[in-house]
Amino acid sequence: MRRFWIDTDTASDDAVAILMALRCPDVHVEGISVVAGNVPLEMCSVNARYTVELCGKDTPVYHGMARPYLREPHYAFFFHGPDGMGGMNYPPPKRPPAERHAVEALIETVRAYPGEITLVTLGPLTNIAAALQLAPDLVEKIPQCYTMGGAACTVGNITPAAEYNIWVDPEAARMVFHSGLPLTMVGWELCRGEANLDKEDIEYVRSFGTVYADFAIDCNRQAIITNQEWLHDPFLPLPDPVTMAIALDPSVCTRKSKHYVDVETTSELTRGMTVVDQLGVLNKPPNVEVCWEINIPLWKETLYKTLR
Amino acid sequence: MRKKVIIDTDPGVDDAMMILAALRSPELEVIGITSVFGNASGYATALNALRLVELEGNDHIPVARGSDCGLIVEAQMLGTAVHGEDGVGNTNPPPPKGKWLDISAAQFIAQKVLEYAHQVTLLAVGPLTNVALALRLEPRIVELVEQVVIMGGSIGAGGNISPVAEANIFHDPHAAEVVFSAGLPLVMVGLDVTLKVIQTRQYLDEIKKADNPAGHLLNAILPCYQAYHDQAYGMGGDIHTHDPSALAYVLVPELFEVEKVPVYVETSGYGFGQTIADRRGQLGQRQPVSVCVGVDAPGVLKLIKERLTK
Repeated sequence: MRRFWIDTDTASDDAVAILMALRCPDVHVEGISVVAGNVPLEMCSVNARYTVELCGKDTPVYHGMARPYLREPHYAFFFHGPDGMGGMNYPPPKRPPAERHAVEALIETVRAYPGEITLVTLGPLTNIAAALQLAPDLVEKIPQCYTMGGAACTVGNITPAAEYNIWVDPEAARMVFHSGLPLTMVGWELCRGEANLDKEDIEYVRSFGTVYADFAIDCNRQAIITNQEWLHDPFLPLPDPVTMAIALDPSVCTRKSKHYVDVETTSELTRGMTVVDQLGVLNKPPNVEVCWEINIPLWKETLYKTLR
Repeated sequence: MRKKVIIDTDPGVDDAMMILAALRSPELEVIGITSVFGNASGYATALNALRLVELEGNDHIPVARGSDCGLIVEAQMLGTAVHGEDGVGNTNPPPPKGKWLDISAAQFIAQKVLEYAHQVTLLAVGPLTNVALALRLEPRIVELVEQVVIMGGSIGAGGNISPVAEANIFHDPHAAEVVFSAGLPLVMVGLDVTLKVIQTRQYLDEIKKADNPAGHLLNAILPCYQAYHDQAYGMGGDIHTHDPSALAYVLVPELFEVEKVPVYVETSGYGFGQTIADRRGQLGQRQPVSVCVGVDAPGVLKLIKERLTK
């Protein structure tokens, strides 16, 4: 069994990514840490716990940082709906959140299984930055971290320069990027256009007739609308599930390379921009594995397998 | 009842003097010491914190090791020219017997403030990294901590590590900004008062002569600190009183005159680490903190000497 830890600001696409990991037969999710991002912390927790229960699991959900390090909180209700789940108003989860603080639980779990925990981050990196600050030894003990965040040498979504997760807490992202953690960055540009579930894909998913398939589409119904109006992008983008697909099956990423990547924290215009030194002009040691290309049919099939 | 205190510190020569005086103060119950980089590396300051609790039989007091660098900025311009590479005047002391806790400084602070709600005074005399992390880990600290007294900053006395910045704030201005903006019951003991409290060479000689472990240690580690003050300010063996002044505030607040004013921290450019008092509310709606602007210097000096020599 592979051991995973998921750090998430659980709204609709996070929920689908969590479901993928929980339904993957050779993966055991040791814990889920929630962090303020798409929606406030309490709402992330409710959404994560609902998803866990939908999958029939008892994975602990730990509460983490309720706001970014330095910036004011910013939520994305406009994209994920008032409940973060497309306005589906799912019933409240039965189990309470785990008692421990997410950052402490993450530190303890990584230390209990050194070299074994694959970390998948789907939200702002506040929890991870705090964990690394409190326990720098984690850098040596986490073999791989897959991060949904940033935009490699291309446009952003929340601003022309920046992707949402990094933009929300750029200082935390900068700390994590420079920490020495073996980090693979899955930028949002890999999760748009052709990578989206189009009309046929959505109909195909619906045809599975499972609660998982319906859940994956239903909770994203606001995202489907907003994505087309806001970004003029077709149907349903699923950034967190694409990242999870790469974590579950690294061959989903077909081209990647390691570069020096920094995060802009001082500019107003380009706050949270992930600056990839693709040509190596800064002569600084590479710190981030950047994904450039994915196998789109394989990504979708990796998703479908967990929804059937 | 004795006042419960957590000392967050980067020892450090003046930190050492302050900690020894605090441990010898019957009004205080020091429930833990948390270390942080600053005057020397995070490793050196953690070792010194352990040595200081062990020196006079206080090794029941837990030590939690904290951050090795700022929230955002790297550890830079550490105080090793002032305090020695080892933080204790280049005296190369033997390793401590004890070990720091498994949990980090920020976790320790968060735990204790919740455990002893409305009872804990946090005396923070280094970069504010641990305190800021604790606030983010556990936002209820703002309501549950009794008081936070910091040594750091300057609103009208200029800087020491830069023309405008005091060293503790300079080492982690982002953390300081988190702390000053948090709405805490915060008292700032900064250069506005600490530069006015001068420990003369004769005064220090009396402390060094005290025949107790504290006196012996201070005798060994103070010369480096005195030499820096002479080289930087031409003080001829006299020194400013930074961290011990913050302790004096905890013990006898009446020794200080405070001004309630919102404080902001600059985090970039030439003003990096500057603390800015916004007397007319021109920068925003931030809650005021208590900034020490006047001090009964002889009173502070008498108090500190009394604690260290008796």
